[in-house]
Amino acid sequence: MSGPAESEAPEYRAARLHRALAEDPRTSELGVQVSVDGDDIRLTGTVSSESCKEELGQVLHEWEPGATVHNDVRVVEADEPGEAEVIR
Amino acid sequence: MIRVAAVGDVHLGEDAGGRLRPALDHLPEHADVLLLAGDLTRHGTPAEARVVAEEFRDVGVPVFTVLGNHDYHDDAVPEVGQILENAGIHVLEGDTAVVPVNGLTLGVAGVKGFGGGFAGKCGSAFGEPEMKAFVGHTVEIADKLRSALDSLDCDAKVALTHYAPVPETLAGEPPEIFPFLGAYQLGEAIDASGTRLALHGHAHLGSEKGETPGGVPVRNVAQPVIRKAFSVYCLEPDG
Repeated sequence: MSGPAESEAPEYRAARLHRALAEDPRTSELGVQVSVDGDDIRLTGTVSSESCKEELGQVLHEWEPGATVHNDVRVVEADEPGEAEVIR
Repeated sequence: MIRVAAVGDVHLGEDAGGRLRPALDHLPEHADVLLLAGDLTRHGTPAEARVVAEEFRDVGVPVFTVLGNHDYHDDAVPEVGQILENAGIHVLEGDTAVVPVNGLTLGVAGVKGFGGGFAGKCGSAFGEPEMKAFVGHTVEIADKLRSALDSLDCDAKVALTHYAPVPETLAGEPPEIFPFLGAYQLGEAIDASGTRLALHGHAHLGSEKGETPGGVPVRNVAQPVIRKAFSVYCLEPDG
């Protein structure tokens, strides 16, 4: 595991963190978007539980302990459906 | 009328048991059959498959599923499939099922599908062996889907995949990753076979509704897209 190099472009940093969240077995989230702005890292997307959302923050903190993580990821709803759609 | 409930990408981890069960306990009030569009697990482990098995066991209607890329991750597909089958969750991969519903028959053909992209913006089996293998996998699976759909003799056919058969239901995802989310060959197979409805998952940021070039309704039932435990689609018989 390596932290951000001084000269690392934000695009490469975002790509590296996106891959980390996909490939780390604790998260395995391919659909979470990562955007980087200086020391601020913002996560968006949807996960299946509150614990999955918390794990994203924990893994990211290990990679970037000095960064401020804005975890805007949504936990998916699991309610009963409303009206059915009739397929014509 | 045949009522089809569907959801994909539930991504149940080992600690997720019971998350969908409150809604599933009322499933027979809503639907006659439940179709699962893959990515039932987070990592494809047998332990997670056992959680899925308990979640969808004895829901009061027949349950059919395809597997998704997450369900392949732990290289335990045979064991995962057996755990699901033992719970009455039938895994389709080039297979079909015909379900009697209210005097009618619903036919379901399922495959995982794969990527490759969509017409005019897709990969070709050319160049490096890795590229030929990638596109070859897509073509092989699409051929299996076409054969399975062709073989169905029923009142209404539904195609069930994990990967998308059209780009419309990917709207919301970055266009650059569309080739990793689906393939036009799946849509071509669906259009060639008198299919009434195509269901898929995989694209969490996508959109629910689309249509094949041949006019078959396509629905992305990934749970982050439908934002509920399952969606229900009502089919009237052909003719």
